[in-house]
Amino acid sequence: MSGMKLLRMVNISKRFGRVQALNGVDFDVDYNEIVGLLGDNGAGKSTLIKILTGVFPPDTGEIYFEGKKVSFKSPRDAQRLGIEAVYQEATLVNVMNIARNFFLGREPTKWGFLLDKRRMNRECIEKLSQIGVKITSPRREVSLLSGGERQSICLGRAVYFQAKLVVLDEPTTGLAVKETEYVLNLIRSLKAKGISVVVITHNIYHVYDLADRFVILDRGNKIGEFAKAEVTPQDIIDVIRAGTAMVLRRER
Amino acid sequence: MKHSRLLIRKYLRSLQTFLTVPELGVLIAIAAVIIIFSNLSDKFLQVQSFAAIWVRAAELGIVACGIAFLMIAGEFDLSVSSIFGFVPVVSALLMRNGAPFWVILLIGVGIAIGVGLVNSQITIRVGLPSFITTLGMMLFLRGIVLALSKGFLLPFAGDKMAAHILAGTITGFLRFSAIWSLIICGIFAFVLTQTRYGNWVFATGGNRNAAYMVGIPVNRVKTMNFVLCSVMAALAGMIAFARLGMVAPQQGEGMELEAIASAVIGGCLLSGGYGSIPGAYLGAFMVAMIQQGLVLIGAPPYWYRAFVGFLVVAASVLNYFVRRGFKTRLEER
Repeated sequence: MSGMKLLRMVNISKRFGRVQALNGVDFDVDYNEIVGLLGDNGAGKSTLIKILTGVFPPDTGEIYFEGKKVSFKSPRDAQRLGIEAVYQEATLVNVMNIARNFFLGREPTKWGFLLDKRRMNRECIEKLSQIGVKITSPRREVSLLSGGERQSICLGRAVYFQAKLVVLDEPTTGLAVKETEYVLNLIRSLKAKGISVVVITHNIYHVYDLADRFVILDRGNKIGEFAKAEVTPQDIIDVIRAGTAMVLRRER
Repeated sequence: MKHSRLLIRKYLRSLQTFLTVPELGVLIAIAAVIIIFSNLSDKFLQVQSFAAIWVRAAELGIVACGIAFLMIAGEFDLSVSSIFGFVPVVSALLMRNGAPFWVILLIGVGIAIGVGLVNSQITIRVGLPSFITTLGMMLFLRGIVLALSKGFLLPFAGDKMAAHILAGTITGFLRFSAIWSLIICGIFAFVLTQTRYGNWVFATGGNRNAAYMVGIPVNRVKTMNFVLCSVMAALAGMIAFARLGMVAPQQGEGMELEAIASAVIGGCLLSGGYGSIPGAYLGAFMVAMIQQGLVLIGAPPYWYRAFVGFLVVAASVLNYFVRRGFKTRLEER
């Protein structure tokens, strides 16, 4: 093992009925690195990060986090180690207010059961403004926020709880152009804080500037892994389309 | 000029806070009911009438608090009406055989917990809608009640003191049951809005997957709320039993819909994640007011359901605007 990585997933396989969703995939994330996880629909991206964030276990394979072998029984286990999932529409409760969402599942309490609302309201506004998010009131209902603002609350949450690895699933889908820019900048600010990030996306142009490295999956197999210097966005699109990294070699 | 604009804004903001309380719909509905009935009958605003309303509102209110707590967690319980009859009937049979009151209490609570556990486990494990699970439980338990009682009224043959503490008169118009219902409403409201568990209840009903993703034990929350809901129904049933001095095998029939109507009038969303315990209690109060009001004006009792039905829809429409319209429109200013 050359130098300890933040995360190593080794030989991960997962089968759902007849579908081999993942087939012996290795996946690493280094400290302070942004990795773009790419692939067409059904490539196995979501399965991989669901295993990573503890939604379900792999059939075979091992996960090492900060050099230690780990296994997750629930998302909570992954969260405790500092792996924070930011899934669109899946980690916020729309009918609840911002402060309640921000601390969901990890509420600050007095005497162990009483919500410390004053602290919740104050600290969520503080932390959000630190990463450049302006919120009018912590009591605003999340359903009234824009897509970008919702993402930003998840990201603020990750910073507040000192996540080491943040996993974003399609963070820019359905966002307006300005909002997309805003979310991408927030992701950069996570890296500036020393947090590693995995971004899943269809849209290579959104992550190309952002990411340090790209991993490409196709029908459950890893078909390519490139540092940014090695490839252009078009190369990555070609690999995804062809389903193999061979296309690049032929061209060179 | 600038000063007055600031004042207007301040005024608008406090107006907005008022317009977005989940209990607003039910408060307006209650005001409407009071205005209508006090004009039709001068007895409506008298103390005796209020006392009669509260007797009914206390029992329905306890059930409605439990239902609201469960509905906010995203589930439903139709079987409350049958528990409301089943536990008193079993108690009456135990009393006949001379069981001491604490044994009866223990068995009653045990039955309620058991029913709550069965409802919740079938709903959670199999993934059936709780509407179906508890509809089945409602019919099943009602059948057992009829079989156990053989269709007869059963007397309250137990401890007089116990009956007094459950539903006896304290002074004039005030009964113990009213006190119990207020305490229960207070505890549930407190737990829901002020504690960590309450936050979990909202989240479980608002977005189950999100709650699961952030590590909330959603199934335990649902199970707990099913059990609490059943226990509340059993308690309310015992209060009615103690107050009437007997239990009919039909006791509670139709009550499940009244309780759900109370919760909905009080601001609960059928889809979960939003609602108010005091709202549900006030909803029960309103249902009781309609019953009493119709009696006082000498209207045929048939009108009762029509009236409740109308107000459920009217209050829900109002609640919808409270939640959506006022909120967004005023915030855009």
